[in-house]
Amino acid sequence: MNAPTPALVAPRPERLRLVGQRRQLLALMHQRLMFGMLVYAGIVAIIALRILYLAAFGDHAGRKEELTAYVPDRGDIVDRDGVPLARTIDAWTIAVHPNKVIGDKLALAQKLALLMPERSEEQYFALLRSGKTFFYLRRRASPELVEAVNAIGEPGLAIEREPDRLYPQTTLAAHVIGFTNIDGRGGAGAERAFDSYLSDPRTRGTPLVLSISSKVQQALQAELGDAMQHFSAIGAAGVVMDVHTGEVLAMTSLPDFNPNAPGQATPDQMFNRATLGVFELGSTFKPFTLAMAMDSGVVSGPAEMLNCPEVLPAYGHLIHDTHPFGRRCSIAEIMMESSNIGMAQIADMVGTQRQKAWLKKMGFLDRVEIELKEKGRPLTPGSRWGPFETMTIGFGQGIAVAPLQLAMGYATLFDGGIYHPPTILKIGPGHPLAPGRRVFSADTSYRMRSLLRLVVMKGTGRKADAPGYRVGGKTGTAQKLIDGHYSKTINLTSFAGVFPMDDPRYVIVVMLDEPKATPETYGFTTAGWNVAPVVSKTVSRIAPMLGVAPDMSREPNMAEVLPYVQDAKKKQDSSKD
Amino acid sequence: MSSRSFHSVFMVASCATAALGCYLVSLRVASERAALEDVESQIVVAQRDMRVLQTEIGTRGRLSQLERWNAGEFALSAPNADQFLKGSFELAQLVRPEHKLQFQAPVVLASAPAPTPPKALGQPAVDDSGSPAAVAGNPLLHEASLKIETREVPARTVVALPQTTARSTDKPATAAKLVKDKSVGKPGLAAAQPIRKALGKSAPKQVATKSRPSPKKSVDKPIVESARAVTKPVRLAKVDPLAPLPARHSNHSKEIAAER
Repeated sequence: MNAPTPALVAPRPERLRLVGQRRQLLALMHQRLMFGMLVYAGIVAIIALRILYLAAFGDHAGRKEELTAYVPDRGDIVDRDGVPLARTIDAWTIAVHPNKVIGDKLALAQKLALLMPERSEEQYFALLRSGKTFFYLRRRASPELVEAVNAIGEPGLAIEREPDRLYPQTTLAAHVIGFTNIDGRGGAGAERAFDSYLSDPRTRGTPLVLSISSKVQQALQAELGDAMQHFSAIGAAGVVMDVHTGEVLAMTSLPDFNPNAPGQATPDQMFNRATLGVFELGSTFKPFTLAMAMDSGVVSGPAEMLNCPEVLPAYGHLIHDTHPFGRRCSIAEIMMESSNIGMAQIADMVGTQRQKAWLKKMGFLDRVEIELKEKGRPLTPGSRWGPFETMTIGFGQGIAVAPLQLAMGYATLFDGGIYHPPTILKIGPGHPLAPGRRVFSADTSYRMRSLLRLVVMKGTGRKADAPGYRVGGKTGTAQKLIDGHYSKTINLTSFAGVFPMDDPRYVIVVMLDEPKATPETYGFTTAGWNVAPVVSKTVSRIAPMLGVAPDMSREPNMAEVLPYVQDAKKKQDSSKD
Repeated sequence: MSSRSFHSVFMVASCATAALGCYLVSLRVASERAALEDVESQIVVAQRDMRVLQTEIGTRGRLSQLERWNAGEFALSAPNADQFLKGSFELAQLVRPEHKLQFQAPVVLASAPAPTPPKALGQPAVDDSGSPAAVAGNPLLHEASLKIETREVPARTVVALPQTTARSTDKPATAAKLVKDKSVGKPGLAAAQPIRKALGKSAPKQVATKSRPSPKKSVDKPIVESARAVTKPVRLAKVDPLAPLPARHSNHSKEIAAER
């Protein structure tokens, strides 16, 4: 208590030494303490500063991810008017963990069989006893079913929400949209072609806008489906395309499938006849031959006269006509009556090399340039491409192209001769119009208008006319190649039309595979009887939607061709005389 | 001294207050931001719900379903080319106004009474014994330029006037009948005087309190003379001779008979 302070008492030398040591020790301790305190203060200061910083600029604890708009798990696909064609929604999934089932498995199997009758009671019981860890009972279950299953109260039943791809329009444009597989990756169509765009988190927020118009697509699909059923055809394809931009407004292939359940579709249904299938499309090729001839100057125009015998012998073969002229006839008449003999002569005048060059320029010798991955390679004579093959290609035999390619060719021919690659994406700010390339001259394009209108007004395509909409086009009836021989009875009929012909805006190509004759067609299976009415019906439905106003007073300049057509009446009169 | 010694305390206090204020502001901002984010997340949830509902509606009303209804149930088809019109002019052309004879219109009156006036006018001339000259003079002239309803009322009321005042001696019975028709509430008032009084009372009240009754009469009188001739033919002609309206016609004829 009253111990003397070292300062007042003279220390002993030992003690002094000791004191010195203690002092040193004390100083060291002070140093260390100070150091520890500084470190502590520093940490506190850092924490305090960090807190202050966070309070001022940082995120608070309850902050969520930056969600300002709903971003689906996979991007939407919409049509050109914004109608959803494919969407990802959260669907209910019912699954079961058999190992976690604690109740009576037999009773559970009974209840499940009652609620989901797709499996029997025994099957459910076997599944529950199988010892597996997990399996799905139902994907995309309805809310009522989910509620009922939940009411069973079995902890082994798992009810979850998981993203599911839904196609609200079911079969509409199924081949264009495609489908997704079980992993959510694109399996076909646009889903496959734009898979990275649709699944990329940066881009999937904005929907993929297709050039398809669902109303046009529906009209085409319905009319084509009716015709296919009516004429008992095995397949059909149809394309509607914008002449000026190459946008595909509708593309269908029948039979089609439901992309909501792609597993149930047969390969035949999955097959896209419009792009992947290549067909010999017959006389629909003739306008190209004529355009080539007019553009290269070997034919002056519709007025030029050619000799059209009953049968034309050429390079060791005989070329026939269904309605032979047996006289001299004009180019306009050859076009109107779809004369093989006349067109073969024109093709011969064009020549093999020029024909090849033209077809190459039109894109008929390569796969069609479209975003879809399902593209067929055109079939050509290849190395056997001689003068006779040139003649047959002139009237559409010996070359097989996809119906979309045919539509593309007509679009080129009637867009002033300028080729634009077809696209299934809407032309707009995000997808500008690709630069075109000139194939035919504008003059040739203009002169073809009245020729094709003539076919519909007076020729083989009369049934394709939609009053007021100025449809022009060409029928095509190709004999199918069966076992290496052209069948006399089994046909593939097609029609390629353009409307309105006085100012072409849209191309429509329709094809029926193996249509059968009906009483109304008087036993004929040619294109004029089965596909031409489809065009008429479809055009009168879609033209008002596409903004083509009907006008009975407008026509292309028919004065260019009508004087060169010999009337049936006149012909009779002259024969009488 | 005190201020100096407390200087540091004040400094600390003010610093603390400022820091607290800053902290409160940032807290407030943070809470607002949190509320905003809650709203944003609610919007996202709502967007998702909307998508689900839109998808459901779109699926139920898919085009193939509509097509089935259109083709199967309603048998609808695409419009023909001639069903499209280019504008309002073509639309108006489709609807032509139907030419209908309107018997109540005064246009019919101008031609209809032409053969009848001698009869119609002759009878009242005999019955009234009033002013045959005025009646015979201008029946057709007035018919064309008349507004019937407006003149009927004053003409009638005033018709009674001259009868009672000037020619009261001739036939008081007819005058009394007319008055009976007009003054509904007073059946016993057949005399002229009360009517004049009633008129004198009502007229100034309606028009103006200070206006004298005599100039008004003088204004009315020329109208009376013309109207007198006009009213009866007009009333007759109102009933169309061709119209098959037996009930109305009989009623009217009875009325006329009663008047006569």
